[in-house]
Amino acid sequence: MNPKLRTCFLFVCSLLLALSCASDKAVFERSATKYRIGDQEGWAAKELDQRSWHRRPSFVPDGKIFWSRTKVKILQAPEAMEPYGVRMEIYGEYEVFWDGELIGRNGNPGQEAELPPKGELWTTFTIPLHLTDVGEHVLALRLSNYYYPDHIGVYELEVDYYDDLMTDRLIQNAYMHVFAGAFLVASIYCLFLFLGNKKEYLLLIFSISSFFFFGLTMTHFVRTTLPIHYSLHVLRLEVITGLLFGISFLIPLYFSMQFPFPRRKLFVGLYAVILLFMFSSKHNAFDYTILKMTAGLCVFSLGITIFAVYKRAKGALLVLLTLLLCIFIGYTVSFNLALFIGFSLILFNMLYLLSVRVKEQRLAYETSLVQSTRLKLELVKKNIQPHFLMNTLTSLMDWVEEAPDKGVLFIEALAREFDLINQMEDQTLIPISQEIALCRTHLEIMKYRKEIDYSWEEEAIDPEQKVPPAIFHTLLENGITHSMPREDNSIRFRLTYESDSNHHCYTFLTMAAGVKQGKSREEGTGLKYIKARLTESYDAKWDLSSEPTPEGWRNVIKIYY
Amino acid sequence: MNILIVEDESRIAKRIERMMRDILASALTSVTHLNTLQEALAFIDKQPLDLVLLDLNLNGEDGFDLLKTAVSGAFHTIVISAYKDQAITAFEYGVLDFVPKPFNQERLEQALSRVVAQEKTETEVRYLAVKKRQRIQLIPVDEVLYIKGAGAYSELFLIDGSKELHDKSLDKLQQLLSGSFERVHKSYLVRMSEVSEIIVSSGSKYMAALKNGAQIPIGRTKYKEIKSKWY
Repeated sequence: MNPKLRTCFLFVCSLLLALSCASDKAVFERSATKYRIGDQEGWAAKELDQRSWHRRPSFVPDGKIFWSRTKVKILQAPEAMEPYGVRMEIYGEYEVFWDGELIGRNGNPGQEAELPPKGELWTTFTIPLHLTDVGEHVLALRLSNYYYPDHIGVYELEVDYYDDLMTDRLIQNAYMHVFAGAFLVASIYCLFLFLGNKKEYLLLIFSISSFFFFGLTMTHFVRTTLPIHYSLHVLRLEVITGLLFGISFLIPLYFSMQFPFPRRKLFVGLYAVILLFMFSSKHNAFDYTILKMTAGLCVFSLGITIFAVYKRAKGALLVLLTLLLCIFIGYTVSFNLALFIGFSLILFNMLYLLSVRVKEQRLAYETSLVQSTRLKLELVKKNIQPHFLMNTLTSLMDWVEEAPDKGVLFIEALAREFDLINQMEDQTLIPISQEIALCRTHLEIMKYRKEIDYSWEEEAIDPEQKVPPAIFHTLLENGITHSMPREDNSIRFRLTYESDSNHHCYTFLTMAAGVKQGKSREEGTGLKYIKARLTESYDAKWDLSSEPTPEGWRNVIKIYY
Repeated sequence: MNILIVEDESRIAKRIERMMRDILASALTSVTHLNTLQEALAFIDKQPLDLVLLDLNLNGEDGFDLLKTAVSGAFHTIVISAYKDQAITAFEYGVLDFVPKPFNQERLEQALSRVVAQEKTETEVRYLAVKKRQRIQLIPVDEVLYIKGAGAYSELFLIDGSKELHDKSLDKLQQLLSGSFERVHKSYLVRMSEVSEIIVSSGSKYMAALKNGAQIPIGRTKYKEIKSKWY
C-alpha cells in the first residue's frame, strides 16, 4: 500500500470511530408499551389501572380497534415557546393521546376496511407545552391494523423538540441523497465506459453494484421524501432486501474476477446457491435476511482477498484491510449505519481497483504499441542491416563485374525480396504462401552470395493459413548463418504443416552439416523476433521449440486455437 | 607474401583472392581461404603468414576473438567488414587497415600498400595483444614505456616494471604506434611523453632519460630529427 493510501485509510478509520462515539443526550425515557383489545374513551387517561393490559401485543384481525399505552418520562422540560413533539413508526392507523388529550390523528382507525388507506408510517405530532413538564406522562394510542395484524407494536418512539424532529431527518436525507448521487454518477459513468468496451465486465459489475447501492440508499431514506402508508412498507423492505441480495452477489463476484483463483466458477456458483438460500429462507424476517446475506458477502470476499494477498495480487492488501475495517464497524455502530459505511468503503475500494486496472491496461496498450512499432522496424531492418546489405552488395559488384547476366538475375531476386518485405511491412499476419515466396527469394539471393546449393521443400502447406510476417524467413536466416554445407555443397530446408483439433503445427527443418548452436546476439534477436511476433498475434497460445537433430536443426512452432 | 582470407561468403572470398592475385602478382606466395573461426585459429597457429584479411562476422559469431589472436601474431591484419561501426575498435586492437564492404580493387590496393610501404596508421592503437600461455592478453598501450626490438620479436617494457614479449617485429609495431612512440634507435621505440631529458655525453653519445630513471640510447642519425620534432 502506498503512503497516500495508507493515510487516507487511517483517516477514514478515525473518522468512523469518532462518528460512532458521538450521540445526543435524550430528553426522555420510555417504558414498555402495553396493549389491550377493545375501545373505551377512558383508556386515554393519564392515570389508569393497567393491570389487565398485556406487554406482548396480540394478533388483532379485521382492523378491530385496540389501544396501546406507553409511559414516557420527560427528563428535561422544553424551553419556553418551543414545544416538544413525538415521532413514531407504527403499523396501523391511529389517534394519538398525550396525558389523555388528543394531540393528533393518522388515518381512520377502525374504518380501514371501508375507507381507502390514509396516513403515513412515520408520523410526528406536537405535544402541547403544558403537558411536557419533567415527570411521567402517558402516550395512549387508539389503533387499528387492518393490513398487517401480525405486526403490532410501537417500533419507534422519539420525544424531542418538534422542530428538531422535523428537520433532523431532512438534514440526514440531504446528506444521504448527495452520497447516493455520487454512486449514481459513478454507476452511469462506468456503464458508459463499459458500453465503450464491452469486454470489461468488471466495469459493468461495478456499475450495477453502484446503482444498486444508490437504489438501496434512496429506498432506505425514502421516509421524508415519500409519504408511505404502512400497508406499502413491506414493498419497501422487499426492495431493500432484493437490492442487498444483488449487491451481496456482485461484490464477491467482482473480487473473484479482480483476483482470480482456481475453480473460480465453481466457488462463485456455490456462493450464489448459498446466497439464494439465505435470501429465500425466513425471507420475511427482513432484518435477519439482510444480516445473513451481509455476513455471507463478508466471509466470501474475505476468503478471496486472503488468497489474493497470499498470491501477492496488486491491491489485495488494501481490500483485505477494508473488509476487516467493515467487520469492525459492523460490531461498533448500529447495523444500518454499518451497512452504509461498509458498502461505501467496499465500493470505493472497487473503484480504486478499477482505476489501478485502467492504468495497467493503458500501460500495456502503450507497451504493445511500442512493441509493434519495434517489430515493424525490425522487419524493415532485415534488408538494410549492414551484414545482409553490404555482403549482398559486395557479391553483387562481383557478379556484375564478372558475369553481368547473372548479376541482373541477382538484382531481380534482390528486388523481389525488397518488394515482398515492403508488402508485409504493415501486416501482423500474412498468408503462408507469401512467407514461402519470401523464403524462396531469400535462398536465391543467398545462392549468389554463398555459392551453396540451397534447396527449399514444403509439405502439406495449407495456403489459406496465415502466419506472422518473416518468422520462417528468420528461421531460414538462422539456418543459413549457423550451418555448413554438406559434402555435396548443399543445404536443404523443409517446412511441414500439420493441424489437429487443438493446434496448427509448423516444423522447419534445416538439413546441413555442422549446425552450431548459436549463442551469439544475432540468433538471440532472431528468436526474440519470432517470439514477439507470435505473442503479438496469439498472446500466450503458441509454443516454439528449437533443437538439434542428427540431420541438422529442427524448429517447431505450434499455434493453439 | 603469404595471405590468409577468413570470410564465410564464398563469392566475396573469391573476389578478395582474385584481387590479391591482381595486385600482388608475383609477390604473392600463397593465398588460403577459410570459412570458419576454428579453422582460421588452427591455421594461424601453424602456418607462417604475412597478412590476414579478416571478416569480423563469421556465421553469426563474434570475430573479435579471432581478431585478438590475429593482432598478437607476427603478421599484419586487415579487417574487411560490413559493419563500419566496428572500425574504431578494430584499429584500437591494432589492425593495419579497415576495409568496409562493399569494396573495389582500388580500396584493397590502398590497404595493401600500407603493408608494403610500411605506411603508418592514423587511428591510435589502444591495446597490444600479447600471447600468454593458451590465451591472449590485451595490454593497454598507455602502460607501455618503451619497446625493444629482439630479432623477429619485440620486448614491451611496462610502467609497472614488467616485460612482455610481442610476436610482431619492431618495424611492424612502429607502424601501428606512430602517434605517440618514436623510433629513437634501430632497436628502440619510446613513448615520447615519458622522456624527461636528452643527455649528451662524451663521444657524441645521446641518451633519452625516462621519468622512471631508465636511459634509452638514441641513434646518432636519429638525434637531429628527434631534437627538431620534439624540442
